[in-house]
Amino acid sequence: MERAIVLVGLNHRSAPVAVREQVAFQNGQLGPALRRLMDLEGVHEGTIVSTCNRVEVIACGADPTRLSALLPRFLAGEHDLTETALAAHLYTHADREAVRHLFRVAASLDSMVVGEPQILGQLKEQYAAAAAAGASGQVLHRCFHKSFSVAKRVRSETGIAEKAVSVASAAVELARGIFDRLTDKSAMLLGAGAMGELTARHLLAQGVGSLMVANRTFERAIDVARALGGMPVPWDGLSRTLPLADLIIGAASGDDFLLGPAAMEEALRERRRRPMFVIDLAVPRAIDPGVNALDGVYLYDIDDLEGVIADNRGARAAAAAKAETIVEAEVDAFWGWFTSLDVVPTIVALREKLEALRQQELERTLSAMGDLDPKQRQAIERLSVTLVNKILHTPVTTLRRHQADRAEPFYIEAARRLFRLGVAADDDEEE
Amino acid sequence: MSSELACLRLAVLLYLAATVAALLAIAVRRETPRALMPRLLGVGLVVHTAALGLRSAHAGHPAVTTFDEALSFLALLLVAIFLVVQFRRPLVALGAVVSPLAFGLTLAADAVYAGAQPLPPVLDSLWLPVHVGLAFLGDAVFALAFSASLLYLVQERRLKARRGPGLLRHLPSLETLDRLNYACLVWGLILLTLGMVSGIIWAHTAWGRFWSSDPKVLFSFLTWGIYVVLLQGRMIAGWRGRWAATLTIAGFAVLVLSLVGVNVLALGNHGKAF
Repeated sequence: MERAIVLVGLNHRSAPVAVREQVAFQNGQLGPALRRLMDLEGVHEGTIVSTCNRVEVIACGADPTRLSALLPRFLAGEHDLTETALAAHLYTHADREAVRHLFRVAASLDSMVVGEPQILGQLKEQYAAAAAAGASGQVLHRCFHKSFSVAKRVRSETGIAEKAVSVASAAVELARGIFDRLTDKSAMLLGAGAMGELTARHLLAQGVGSLMVANRTFERAIDVARALGGMPVPWDGLSRTLPLADLIIGAASGDDFLLGPAAMEEALRERRRRPMFVIDLAVPRAIDPGVNALDGVYLYDIDDLEGVIADNRGARAAAAAKAETIVEAEVDAFWGWFTSLDVVPTIVALREKLEALRQQELERTLSAMGDLDPKQRQAIERLSVTLVNKILHTPVTTLRRHQADRAEPFYIEAARRLFRLGVAADDDEEE
Repeated sequence: MSSELACLRLAVLLYLAATVAALLAIAVRRETPRALMPRLLGVGLVVHTAALGLRSAHAGHPAVTTFDEALSFLALLLVAIFLVVQFRRPLVALGAVVSPLAFGLTLAADAVYAGAQPLPPVLDSLWLPVHVGLAFLGDAVFALAFSASLLYLVQERRLKARRGPGLLRHLPSLETLDRLNYACLVWGLILLTLGMVSGIIWAHTAWGRFWSSDPKVLFSFLTWGIYVVLLQGRMIAGWRGRWAATLTIAGFAVLVLSLVGVNVLALGNHGKAF
């Protein structure tokens, strides 16, 4: 009989954020949704992955075409969307491709910021939810746990997680070249803008101690500061607050530079020339390039940061190639196990194994007993055959009875392990 | 080859190995050379200590009086101090400066190796280990300050140039290096001052006068003066960063001059016997 793994979903590449928001599952919704997923006919096992950048449903069942049709409908139905509206944003992966996709997601190779570590934690959490709801079974259990160990391998063997990719991470990496630690440092966001806010947020997440927000309109500064967890400072009193800033993020551009060498020099003197890291994200630039000439000021504009990122990318290409090789090898290993999960070959293997044992023992017994008449020999031989058949009877009928239902992989796996049949027994290392 | 010389040469090789390990650790992202570097230096230190110990036992006085002994002793202290710093906070890039320094110093000691020399009776006193120990400890701390400053200038240049991190991405931060420079400056100056005071007292007990116009003494005062000015500048005027690093390097250059120049030219009391 057939067995299939199908993954249907959307991510930051296939769907805009407006669509992702609509399809995302909130924490409380996951349990009931999983139960509804399991109620669908033909779904033996299922798990839902939902983060801010992706929503994916992975299911295991008997019929791949059926699953590929069921899952988009399920996803649309869960969020009161029409299937056609959603279809344009969905991708479907079946079998090996599904496994590879999951492994790549876990290893953060499919992330918006490749190598970002949060995805693994989210995956573990949501797999645990599926396990708690009784939705995952033998196959997805192994598949997810394998994906966790793949992620660990990729991280430890390629160091991809350490490479800064986004501008914000590049800025943090540079800051680490200047400052010993960030916890006792203050950042100042000059002006507002998505890029600046994102960078400020990232700096805070990386441990920067505090954030000041300055804006030409103080109300805006208050808003941004509240959103980021910073402190608004008045635009007019900048000369008083500037010396307190170890990191300055210039985010808004105007007709004129927001900061020039004179103001910076004054601030530097005030702070006894402790280094200042200045990031200019604005185009056209917000900060006079001349400030880089000052001793103790390190100014990077958006082009410089892009250069840093490009530099990282070169190193990253090799790491990514290695990561893909690791994923591929692990998909192969998993697939070998998965395809061994079939009732018929298992029964055949079981019979062959016991038959071989029977013949081996029979030969030994007969030769040890010396001269026997044919009748006696036949009796002994018959005994061995009957014994093997009686031993096999219950396991084989149990395997047959569970053929094509959700418990099937469990019994196959058990049989393969108990009797040491082929692939299933050879790797036990997961978890 | 005496067992003492064999130990010294083994230490030279171990410091060379540590240099290679430190450079590898910077160039490639691998745990092995990173972990190996301090271990190699540690074993080198033990072997090196054995060499100086054997030499002292053979000479009958602390083996810190001839030029090769002085070079060797300085390398020993530098490695020891670095390992103390490294133990508190691993700084692999600093090891990449200290290891070749130690290698060079011990190699030079091997090159000018002259064997144990008898000590003039007037110098045979308890002041010898005290004076030389303190002064050299100070010198070694300044050598570490020099190493940190060198790294500071490299890192600062790299950051100012605004190219990507490249090969040098694992250098310590400017703040770390500047702080280390400051700590070394304070400790080095304390040790050097004590070393000089002990020298003055010793001179008085040996020759009956506090002062001699020995070039070594004059150079030491010059070095001391530079470091005092630097420390003052740091504490009062808030000097730091590139300027402080440059001055530290200048100070160390004078120190090396007083150490090597005076001995190579064999001038004064310190020149004939260290």
